[in-house]
Amino acid sequence: MDQVTTIEAFTATLKRDLLVAYKRKNDIFNPFMFFLIVCSLFPIGISPDPARLGEIASGVLWISALLASLLAMDSLYRNDFEDGSLEQLLLSPHPLYFLVLAKNMAHWLVSGLPVVIVSPLVAYMLSLPDDAYWVMFLTLLLGTPILSLLGSIGVALTVGLGSRGLILAVITLPMSVPVLIAGTLTVQEALNGASLSGYMAVLGAMFFGSLTLAPLASATALRISVT
Amino acid sequence: MWMWFAKLGSPRWFYEISTKWLPWLASAMCILMIVGIVWALLFLPPDYQQSFTTRILVIHVAVAGTSLAFFPLMAVAGTITLVWKMKLADMVAKHAAPLGAWFSFVTLATGSLWGSVMWGTWWEWTDARLVSMLFQFFLLLSVVALRSAIEDPDKSAKACALLSIVGCINVVIIKYSVEWWNVLHQPSSPLSTSNGSANGPEFWMATGVMILAVYLFFIVSLTLATRNEILQRERRSQWVQEIVRTS
Repeated sequence: MDQVTTIEAFTATLKRDLLVAYKRKNDIFNPFMFFLIVCSLFPIGISPDPARLGEIASGVLWISALLASLLAMDSLYRNDFEDGSLEQLLLSPHPLYFLVLAKNMAHWLVSGLPVVIVSPLVAYMLSLPDDAYWVMFLTLLLGTPILSLLGSIGVALTVGLGSRGLILAVITLPMSVPVLIAGTLTVQEALNGASLSGYMAVLGAMFFGSLTLAPLASATALRISVT
Repeated sequence: MWMWFAKLGSPRWFYEISTKWLPWLASAMCILMIVGIVWALLFLPPDYQQSFTTRILVIHVAVAGTSLAFFPLMAVAGTITLVWKMKLADMVAKHAAPLGAWFSFVTLATGSLWGSVMWGTWWEWTDARLVSMLFQFFLLLSVVALRSAIEDPDKSAKACALLSIVGCINVVIIKYSVEWWNVLHQPSSPLSTSNGSANGPEFWMATGVMILAVYLFFIVSLTLATRNEILQRERRSQWVQEIVRTS
């Protein structure tokens, strides 16, 4: 039998997950819709006044993206757990780290990236000042993968449980605080006209830190949950 | 060295050694607690700036300091659980989480009592310590929630161990990021400068007694909870049944 290299296993997992997502389009559509709907609730709940909206827009976008990513998280391992393919993944001879990374990546491409892409439009609707569009977009582009990677730990810990929804939120949301701080601060400082390289560097450090460490924790958590 | 380590992991050995130590620890705790509380709440002279509110601080500082020990403790216990699969470490960790949540809550409560007098507000987002303590409280509660959500004891032990390690790292990151957020988000607040500097030696001596007392309280209550857990989990073993029969 031909040996499959780890890189091949990584791309195969990535392709499979993207294909599965493509076949069940709800998983792509729902987080995206959720993001749009939550963002449009804020002007109704708080104030339609553009000046006030502009002040809170960055926070609204970030918190909505955080909640959208949280709600999308549940589908990361659940279907695979229920049909048994997650166990096959654990049994594979390849490092689980890369397989988990592939699954996280596919999941972010499907649920996180659409949110990032639509964010400038929503930023316009929430009257975020023009200067901050790019920064908003870039922080979300760097930030939402971190949210996915961190959320993956929580999902992996709770994958076998009956009632996951709330416990997942209780575990994941406090962990996301530093990312939320870094993201919203960067946008705020862009509005103040400050230099952004330091802020982006912090976000980048968080991104690479979670890219290297979070899949390890997710992999360990999966081994604990799936036995 | 490894013999000692293996011994420590045995619940029976821990139960027996703690039976010997507990009366001493508990009586030391009671004496220090009474001395500390009476001294702090009744006899500490009023501070010239803060008058009698420093009396709250004596308890607040002691509880706050102890509450910071919980996540490192749980992370170490979690590592031992995951690596050496030691039962005792998980029993300690299981009861450390809710106890730590209580300590954090008392820290927040005494802190806002003091703040309501000195700062004129019960809650202040511009103070980094308040905010990071709040999130430590949430993270400890999430460990408790995960523990009760997973029914299989072995699985919940390992899952909570992992969450404790991740949480411990996260508490540190949250602490620094909240400080950063505070420095940059608002102009520096006039609030947080007003404590600490004016306190005399008496305040620190009372606080020292209180810190010792609270640490002992933490050790004693954790040991008592762990002993209960040992009896419950080892209820089928002979030595536990003997203890139950003789008592």
